[in-house]
Amino acid sequence: MPQTLLARDPQDVVDAVTAAGANGRTLEIRGTGSLTALGRPVVADTVLDLSALSGITLYEPEELVLSARCGTPRRDIEDMLAQSGQMLAFEPADLAPLFGGAARAGSLGGLVATNLAGPRRISAGAVRDHTLGLKAVSGRGELFKSGGRVVKNVTGYDLPRLFAGAFGTLGVATEITLKVLPRPETQETVRLEGLSPEAAAAAMSAALGSSCEVSGAAYAPAPVAARLPGCPDTATVLLRLEGFGPSVRARRDMLARVLIPFGPCTVMRETPSAALWSAVRDVAPFVGTPERALWRLSTAPMAGPALAARLCATLDAEAFCDWGGGLIWLALPGPRSEADTVRTALAASGGHATLLRATAEERARTAVFQPLDEPLAALTARVKSSFDPAGLLNRGRMHEGW
Amino acid sequence: MGDAGARPHGGPQESTAATAEESAEESAEESAQQRMHDGSHDGSRLVMPAPDAAVLARRDQIVADLARLVGADSVIAHERAMRPYESDALTAHRQLPLVVVLPATTDEVAAVLKYCHDNAIRVVPRGAGTSLSGGALPLADAVLLGMAKFTRIREIDTANRCAVVEPGVTNLGITKAVEHLGFYYAPDPSSQIACTIGGNVAENSGGVHCLKYGLTTNNVLGVELALITGEIVRLGGKHLDAGGLDLLSVIIGSEGLLGVVTEVTVRLLKKPDTARAVLVGFPTSESAGDCVAQIIAAGIIPAGIEMMDKDAIAAAEAFVNVGYPLDVEALLIIELDGPEAECAHLLDAVTAHAQACGATTLRVSQSEEERLGFWAGRKAAFPAVGRISPDYLCMDGTIPRRQLPFVLARMRELSHRHGLRVANVFHAGDGNLHPLIRYDANAPGELEAAEAFGADILRLCVEVGGVLTGEHGVGIEKRDLMPEMFDAVDLAQQLRLKCAFDDQNLLNPGKVFPTLHRCAEMGRMHVSGGALPFPDLPRF
Amino acid sequence: MQTHFSPAQLLDPRLAEVDRILRACVHCGFCTATCPTYVLKGDERDSPRGRIYLIKDMLENGRPATAEEVGPIDRCLSCLSCTSTCPSGVDYMHLVDHARAHIEETYARPRSERLVRALIARVLPYPRRFRLALKAAALGRPFAGLLERAGLAPLAAMLRLAPHKVPPAARDGGVHAPAGPRKARVALLAGCAQQVLQPAIDAAAIRLLNRMGVEVVRVAGQGCCGALPHHMGRSEEARAFARANVRAFETAGPLDALLVTASGCGTTLKDYGHMLAGDPTFAGRAAALAGKVRDITEFLAAQDLPAAHGPGGRVAYHSACSLQHGQKVKSPPVALLRQAGFEVVEPFDPHLCCGSAGTYNMLQSELADALKTRKVDTLEALRPQMIAAGNIGCLTQIASGTALPVVHTVELLDWATGGPRPGALAEAAA
Repeated sequence: MPQTLLARDPQDVVDAVTAAGANGRTLEIRGTGSLTALGRPVVADTVLDLSALSGITLYEPEELVLSARCGTPRRDIEDMLAQSGQMLAFEPADLAPLFGGAARAGSLGGLVATNLAGPRRISAGAVRDHTLGLKAVSGRGELFKSGGRVVKNVTGYDLPRLFAGAFGTLGVATEITLKVLPRPETQETVRLEGLSPEAAAAAMSAALGSSCEVSGAAYAPAPVAARLPGCPDTATVLLRLEGFGPSVRARRDMLARVLIPFGPCTVMRETPSAALWSAVRDVAPFVGTPERALWRLSTAPMAGPALAARLCATLDAEAFCDWGGGLIWLALPGPRSEADTVRTALAASGGHATLLRATAEERARTAVFQPLDEPLAALTARVKSSFDPAGLLNRGRMHEGW
Repeated sequence: MGDAGARPHGGPQESTAATAEESAEESAEESAQQRMHDGSHDGSRLVMPAPDAAVLARRDQIVADLARLVGADSVIAHERAMRPYESDALTAHRQLPLVVVLPATTDEVAAVLKYCHDNAIRVVPRGAGTSLSGGALPLADAVLLGMAKFTRIREIDTANRCAVVEPGVTNLGITKAVEHLGFYYAPDPSSQIACTIGGNVAENSGGVHCLKYGLTTNNVLGVELALITGEIVRLGGKHLDAGGLDLLSVIIGSEGLLGVVTEVTVRLLKKPDTARAVLVGFPTSESAGDCVAQIIAAGIIPAGIEMMDKDAIAAAEAFVNVGYPLDVEALLIIELDGPEAECAHLLDAVTAHAQACGATTLRVSQSEEERLGFWAGRKAAFPAVGRISPDYLCMDGTIPRRQLPFVLARMRELSHRHGLRVANVFHAGDGNLHPLIRYDANAPGELEAAEAFGADILRLCVEVGGVLTGEHGVGIEKRDLMPEMFDAVDLAQQLRLKCAFDDQNLLNPGKVFPTLHRCAEMGRMHVSGGALPFPDLPRF
Repeated sequence: MQTHFSPAQLLDPRLAEVDRILRACVHCGFCTATCPTYVLKGDERDSPRGRIYLIKDMLENGRPATAEEVGPIDRCLSCLSCTSTCPSGVDYMHLVDHARAHIEETYARPRSERLVRALIARVLPYPRRFRLALKAAALGRPFAGLLERAGLAPLAAMLRLAPHKVPPAARDGGVHAPAGPRKARVALLAGCAQQVLQPAIDAAAIRLLNRMGVEVVRVAGQGCCGALPHHMGRSEEARAFARANVRAFETAGPLDALLVTASGCGTTLKDYGHMLAGDPTFAGRAAALAGKVRDITEFLAAQDLPAAHGPGGRVAYHSACSLQHGQKVKSPPVALLRQAGFEVVEPFDPHLCCGSAGTYNMLQSELADALKTRKVDTLEALRPQMIAAGNIGCLTQIASGTALPVVHTVELLDWATGGPRPGALAEAAA
């Protein structure tokens, strides 16, 4: 077991990284540890625990901004925002239960590092679209800041966004500033049933390409659909509308007209709709199956449903799509990742595939993140090196060797 | 380049060899002193990197080589012919380039960049030349790489809600190309008629509708990027997010310092069902500011909220004649969009807030033509100030919205102190200010006074928790103010990222960062070289 | 924008005006986007902002023009699209006029160019000479390729543009009184090239005006408005034409307006006050005449159009640059055509020039052809039955690139209110 150091303030982080650098020892950066099984396994000399680096440092609801230390539990942030009728608009997925952990156990740092936006990604953007400011310690042990607390800011390179999805490989974020938004007054879901993958893609495209402002568009084929709350045991397209009451009702009627060519639709009211989208967001259909390797694919939305269907047929897998078809959650029957098959199939429509859940051995053996072509691979390595030249931080988490 | 053989981004080997004296920031300052000199352009105290005499001496050969790469018709070398390229929309600073090159294909861009990389020649990329921060100011020893020939729309894919365009397509040109299909491209900087998407990517341009729809960074899905080595990388595409490090997020807003964008995939949105704009006049800018705060506090995010002060209203009205009220101190343009039902609902709410805040006039657009008219004045407001003033400097700080009354009051004091008038136009919804400092470049000393006034305004923005630039970019204009916002460590990290893309500092040097630096030095670790005990942290 | 004229230079009223114009420019670059040559070439030098810069540099330094300035300024269409786009109100029209005059005074063009320009200046503005030349052109057309190879591309372009048959000259001098009571009295400019190429346009205008109770006077002694030499920098020749016209129209008696059916001429006539401002005997008289000038559609829009019992049809309306940018007359022609029962559609990029631009399609035939193709493509994409425009240059240019009938707005209005079917439509139907 590697030694664990508990950082209490940013200076502790600076000291820990500086010492690690001087001693040639690597560090695993950890918040609450709820997603340590996501990414390649890190074999580090020391664990740097940030869970005590916690607390909301600024929240001004009327300015739509919140800052917190990276170890702050997401639960605390979401609860505080809810009190003011606000939210994290990127709808962060809570994947801890997928790895057998408790719900809402993650921290702000992990949430940003993994960039796992939920269904609202298609309308509100990714985690990185809401990351305004950052304080972090680089692999040099230097505490630096970037960005700010205002949305409109182009002063220097946008490092807060770069840190979103960097899995702690560039630096140890100590404090993060996020843009927050008003929570929609209400929501409804419009449901279509019995659609083929191609028809589902077309239906979601028609809905998202209409002026109905759809904020969630998912497709679940038969066996998976039944595992989503309130859904029937048949291929189902789900389209979410959010906003002010009068607007949601008007758009529901507009959407029903747009969807006429795809068959009759059913409307799910606020409460069932909310439960449904939590399940989509948190990949609920594949919770409780820890032995099954799970992929997360991002591709051109129109290609997604058919690609998912092909992979399911080839690999005897199960899948459902979010993001209008552009995000595929693919659960294989067993622990084998079948990376070549998955990535070869993806290549035609472009995008990337991440082996989201698998055994440590499988994740060590396989490229968990999409392999990069040259010269992008070399460029990416240089960028990592510009923050962490000695490769101290989460070495190997994203790519073998660094 | 002093240490060209060393790996640009440093590494463990180098870190042990370095000493404490060679800290990154010290090296940066030292090399900057060696390499910055007072440039030859008039009217400024701006110091630009000293031209490389060896490059200047080889000019004829370079011109001939470039003509071989892209064709003689695409190379402009005559001094008088290059004159129109000596500045962008920031005319306070001017400099003739070494040579102008206008490539037309990605291969030509790659060939020019590789040639420049191989021969250690600097490159300044340029789009439509509408930058207000001097991002495309040439250097005497640099190739000016104009991207204006990249004007094709490569693909319109409404099923996937995106379009693939060349970087020289104008911002408005994208919307024009897809509007017959009911779609549009959301970010709409005021110069959208002329500014190009390549420039938008470089500056992370915003616009009057980014309160609801985001900036360029939130609306670009992918780019094809030529590196200074001539290598081509593709970042993103029709899918969302990155499979590895999200390099697209730093390319957007990198001001031409990291690479040259040769293709852009943008997100398209369906045009809202209805859009209504409301003109609301207030007796004071404070009451207008209150109105904005109330609307947002009520959970309403309008498509746009813009504010103009009396001088700006008068100038804009003179150009568009849409009936802006001329007897108010502050005018808000508030746009609401969505289904008819939503617009009507929000219109009622906004009207109530406006009245509660003491609005003296309120006019709702009754047709699409009228709505566009309301915006036309706002979008032309900067150049329209040219009607009431021969020259202006356009500032671009962002502040936390609630600081608006304080900042406006301080700005009035500063205006008095510097003896120059200022017209105010701003994105009230997101706190992005555009004070237009009016001056006369033909009057001795006025440019200097205007620059000093501008610097004071930006310092004020930082002081209240804001930033130097919201959407125009740092360029040369705000370059020397960067230390107001960032310390040496912050800047050194930014410079190291630059080195990962451009190890010889050839792309747009002298912009954004107040000091030059050598990548080899930046890469070294600032450590004592020996073993260090782990600090006294709780252990498990 | 900062300028660097010396106090001595500013004593010259021309340079003082140049300085005033330049000071209004803030170099924002909005104009680049709507400039046809920048759209085609992507080179700052071929944009209004680039040209302003070149002109500034040349005139500030008091240097003779060189090829570096002459090329881009020659390539300017003078379509004035930039002036519609410019928020700061830069008077580009008069700036480029000064530059062209400076070029004419200080730049030695190659022999072949001089020859062509002299030929244009001595033939086109004179209807009798022009008619003869067109007849000769019919014989010379087979030699176009030869001329092109001999480095005389403009002559080849002229031959290709020349109509295959030249209509007989109209004999419409004197006063055309309406049948009923007289509501207004106007003069109608005869112009130069239009009366040779398409006398039917003014015939339609006279019929329509008479039908509306408007008396139309054709005065003797009038000639070319001066636009042709003016755009070639031959300012003195242009002023001579202007003076002659001022004198001629002063003989017309009381007029409610001087109407023009060729908007290119209209733009110049409206500027007579400025053109002759330095001439003490003519300044006031020229300004008075200029104040009466109206495009025919501007005038018609203010009257009651006779009831249309017209045939209707889908019309693609091309807005001539001289009309939409030069005179800022945009909506009247469209409104009138709709009122007369036509379905009117407008093309993508309606602000872009068709490439005609006076003598441009002869002197810059390559760019003119590119613009023509672009314009014809966008017009044909509308699937119209006919194309309408309000300027003879555009009519000729567009007709040379499409099989669709191309007619003058006023011909359609005449037809719809009782006049004969326009010739181009009759031919197309036949």
